[in-house]
Amino acid sequence: MAAIASTPRMRCLYIFNRDGVCLHYHVWLRPLTTLSPHQDQKLMFGLLFSLKSFTAKMDPVGGNKGNLGAPNLPGQGCSFHSFRTNTYKLSFMESPSGIKLILITDPRMGDLRDALKYIYSNIYVEYVVKNPLYTPGQPFKCELFNATLDQYVKTLQ
Amino acid sequence: MAPPTRAGDYPFAPVDRVNAELFTLTYGAIVRQLLTDFEEVEEVNKQLDTMGYNIGVRLIDDFLAKSNITRCSEFKDTAEVIAKVGFKMFLGVSATVSNWSADGSECSLILDDNPLADFVELPDTCQGLFYCNILCGVIRGALEMVSMRTEVKFVKDMLRGDDAFEIRLKLLEQVAEEYPYKDDE
Amino acid sequence: MPGGGREVAESCVDSLNLELVATYCKRLHPNKPELAARRIEAIGYQVGLQLAERYTKERPRFADHLEAIKFICKDFWAEVFRKQVDNLKTNHRGVFVLQDNKFRWLTRISVDSAPPGEAAQMDVNAAANASRASQAAGQYLYFPCGLIRGALTNLGVACAVSAEVSTLPACSFVVRVKV
Repeated sequence: MAAIASTPRMRCLYIFNRDGVCLHYHVWLRPLTTLSPHQDQKLMFGLLFSLKSFTAKMDPVGGNKGNLGAPNLPGQGCSFHSFRTNTYKLSFMESPSGIKLILITDPRMGDLRDALKYIYSNIYVEYVVKNPLYTPGQPFKCELFNATLDQYVKTLQ
Repeated sequence: MAPPTRAGDYPFAPVDRVNAELFTLTYGAIVRQLLTDFEEVEEVNKQLDTMGYNIGVRLIDDFLAKSNITRCSEFKDTAEVIAKVGFKMFLGVSATVSNWSADGSECSLILDDNPLADFVELPDTCQGLFYCNILCGVIRGALEMVSMRTEVKFVKDMLRGDDAFEIRLKLLEQVAEEYPYKDDE
Repeated sequence: MPGGGREVAESCVDSLNLELVATYCKRLHPNKPELAARRIEAIGYQVGLQLAERYTKERPRFADHLEAIKFICKDFWAEVFRKQVDNLKTNHRGVFVLQDNKFRWLTRISVDSAPPGEAAQMDVNAAANASRASQAAGQYLYFPCGLIRGALTNLGVACAVSAEVSTLPACSFVVRVKV
């Protein structure tokens, strides 16, 4: 299949806003899907939420120690940027406005922080936020966003 | 990434810039049209604030993307960032932050130069109009997206004969991020 | 002179245009699209009048309508939309068509793609998306139509201006000179 041949290392991308709304879900390769999209997205958001809370709690140097699970202000405490399993790598970035980008890739991918920053700044902001037809806070499937994103991830081999 | 020590030090990506005339004249024509549409000047102030709010809600991501600012959790730093980086990036002028309240929840942004007000002279019939009120809305909308609920209003206006534009910024609440789903959902 | 060489971020202009349409078409007159269109066009007209006045201060008057239209296609377009009109056509009886293949203010308009269908339906979907996008783009052209009419009026060409979107971000402005 063409899609697999051209982007063999990308799996999928999630974009959430601070309210937990999944604004966008993009799949390049995901042979195994066991959950409904809603369940899947909720689980992903929950995973990030808990991980952020745990990583901040375990911070040996940072000063900010709320109770585990206590609400955090965005940008408060430390933040993780990726984890790797034997079958995939999850890379994460969050903007101070609470936009969360999660990129799932092949586990052999290197550091994707710059790539996430690029997707946020040059693709999400330019083609979604600045699209007059987009309503902030709503899920989107903009064609220009999709096309530009597909083009960009091809450079991430 | 820890914020640089001085707000003006934030580097930012190249921003497309255009001649200010089109912007200034468009804004002026909008205000004029609103003044014809609404009899009450107070209602025009409100419409301008709402327009600004909707703009701010979007503009925040453009700002964050270009300014490389990775956190805005302290109100004090955030006010400096708006004054030094925000105004500069979008309007090409910078503001100063002053008049902090004792508890650190209120301050003023002072502007002595403001492209929105170029070529503008208000007739006497516009008493009570805050011509640049859109700016208050923009700041309020943008701050809400970084979890700060604020009240923003003009207290001084050069178009009304004051020596500067002064925008009063009051932090009402910082909204923590909570888990948005219910457990049984 | 304040404002002379002053610059602002292009986002300021884009934001204001976007919110102008939202204000009149969605908030103030959601059920009266024609009224909303008239209001936005009127705002554009005022701006066009003033801009043309400023841009032509140092120039001699235009000899005829065609000269004025050419000024709009080149200098005015470059100043406001940051490129020139790609193609100018006329029927020599007072109708001019200004075609811009990549109109600056439409470059970011994009509709949600329709749910992916069967391979055979892809073209149909693409066509449907394109037509939805063109339709939605229409209300973002009230302002530039007014802008052009205002500018031409200032240059002594009384006219009506309408716009047509074919394939985004291309569009044409049709100028009908009043006799």
